[in-house]
Amino acid sequence: MRKITHALLLLAMLLSVAVSFPSCVDEEEMSDTPRGNFEALWKIVNERYCFFDYKRQAYGLDWDEVHDRYSCQIDDRMNDEQLFEVLGNMLGELRDGHVNMYASFNSARYWRWHEDYPKNFSDSLERRYLATDYRIAGALRYRRLDDNVGYIRCSSFDAAIGDGNLDDVLMYLAPCNALVIDIRNNGGGQLTMAERLAARFINNETLVGYMQHKTGTGHSDFSSMREQRLKPSGRLRWQKKVFVLTNRSVYSAANEFVKYMKCAPQCIVVGDKTGGGAGMPFSSELPNGWGVRFSACPMYNRDRQSTEFGIEPDYNVQISDADMALGIDTIIEFARMLARQ
Amino acid sequence: MKHLRQYVRKPQRILLLAVLSLMLPPLCGSGLSCHAQSNDSVAWSRGKVITNTRLLGVGGVNVLDTYLSPEKYSGTELRYISQTVRGSEHRKWRRLIVHQGMASFSRNRADNANEMAGSYDFCYGFLRRWTLFGDRLTVRAGGMADANIGFLYNTRNGNNPAQARLSFDISPVAMAAYKFTVAGKPFTLNYEVSVPLCGLMFSPNYGQSYYEIFSKGNYDHNAVPTTFIATPSLRNTLSLDFNIAKTTLRLGYMGDYRQAKVNNLKYHSYSHLFVIGMTRTFRLTRLQP
Repeated sequence: MRKITHALLLLAMLLSVAVSFPSCVDEEEMSDTPRGNFEALWKIVNERYCFFDYKRQAYGLDWDEVHDRYSCQIDDRMNDEQLFEVLGNMLGELRDGHVNMYASFNSARYWRWHEDYPKNFSDSLERRYLATDYRIAGALRYRRLDDNVGYIRCSSFDAAIGDGNLDDVLMYLAPCNALVIDIRNNGGGQLTMAERLAARFINNETLVGYMQHKTGTGHSDFSSMREQRLKPSGRLRWQKKVFVLTNRSVYSAANEFVKYMKCAPQCIVVGDKTGGGAGMPFSSELPNGWGVRFSACPMYNRDRQSTEFGIEPDYNVQISDADMALGIDTIIEFARMLARQ
Repeated sequence: MKHLRQYVRKPQRILLLAVLSLMLPPLCGSGLSCHAQSNDSVAWSRGKVITNTRLLGVGGVNVLDTYLSPEKYSGTELRYISQTVRGSEHRKWRRLIVHQGMASFSRNRADNANEMAGSYDFCYGFLRRWTLFGDRLTVRAGGMADANIGFLYNTRNGNNPAQARLSFDISPVAMAAYKFTVAGKPFTLNYEVSVPLCGLMFSPNYGQSYYEIFSKGNYDHNAVPTTFIATPSLRNTLSLDFNIAKTTLRLGYMGDYRQAKVNNLKYHSYSHLFVIGMTRTFRLTRLQP
């Protein structure tokens, strides 16, 4: 009994110490002024953005220097529009399509990764190839082309693609000699949808890349690289040639899909280099309520190289003006030509 | 002190003083200056005694979770608490069982985003009991295991929309109840306090996505051992019991200050609740033919 009493005594004394010196777990709150919002945005990115080291090597990004350069543009008398412009320009220094700032009147973005390049895609040509009698299964539109090549148009990974959808699509296209998966203009969506689609084109568990995350506020505080392994689907799988069509607007989860498909044995990537976007984005916010998005978890290909600035295709093909005038999609036709070989 | 010497032996006196010293700082911190006392409304006779208190709390909450946002959210919290103390009258040790369920809804400073939280908390512990001043003051102290499961959901975030809460703590707990009368009416002033001492909690790593944890199974310090330094938290309740007809009502204040700083992430939830409910005491008597 005495031992228990003494144990309780010790416990109570420990508690007394703990309670007597209470410590608050708190976060510094910036003021809701142009200066406060500027500092809050810089700090969020400084502590949580994941590509500082990579972009310092790629083009000399120096976030401290960016702070100094933009800080002198901040004046507490500026209005929301002016503040938005300065903060948006500052975020543009990151050259990252996953970095955005959202206000009720505008969204700040960096889109030069596709705006500075030929589109290599045309709605009119898409309509010509899909015609009007195409099928729709979840987020996929598909049909058999007249040379017995299956054509799947996947413009986004935002919407769900079910395993039942994929079974039906692949079964319908099974008689085809080859398959074309057109993901041009696919700006991404759910990684799990990209994995589900890619899992139909491998037969063994495959190392497709690596992923890591930040473990602290420092620019180099990262976890170890963890393998990304793609498991083959246990359902219907495609065993013939498959061509993935890309352009500069293939981004984020779609960029990951191309990374996965590069590891598939029968896959050939045709088109333009992808846009990239190899950092899984997180969200945050500023004191004035504007939303912020930034790359948080970097992903790499199987050679441990970042795909942030895109993936080169196996065949770099551009839509020519002459073909465009004739209503021909050069990239699709190139893939069909390869299929015939 | 004279009364204390009269009723309590020396080692227990020291323990009592330590328990009372534990109660003083939170009381002072809350800006309260009343005497901390114990509860228990049980008349002494042989048999098993069960005291059950059911409270409904409503009040303000202030939430910070830097995994979701650097901004603090404030709003309203609703909480249900069921506390049972049970044991034999002739024994000094009693069992403590507490169930708590809470839900809160809060908004950011700019008033354009919401966070919703919910949790369930279960505590199981043992308390030793001392009576002083002719049963007017009852002091209890002991320890309890505290298991908590819950979530915090930010309605506008993308890949980091929510935080899962899962924790297990060992928490020393102390209670005091002081009985007094005003104009011939009996009242009991209660104070309870518990502080997590050590435990284990779930947390994603600083910039780790739930996709990595749950879709890929890439764990990274997600089960974090904690001490009162990493999770300096405190739950305390000051309440008054009084009778209306044959019902004992309880009114009071509950302050629940939960904090954590793990994996370079900061979390706090400060709840200030007005609580109201009922306290009932049952006595189980064995009848022998």
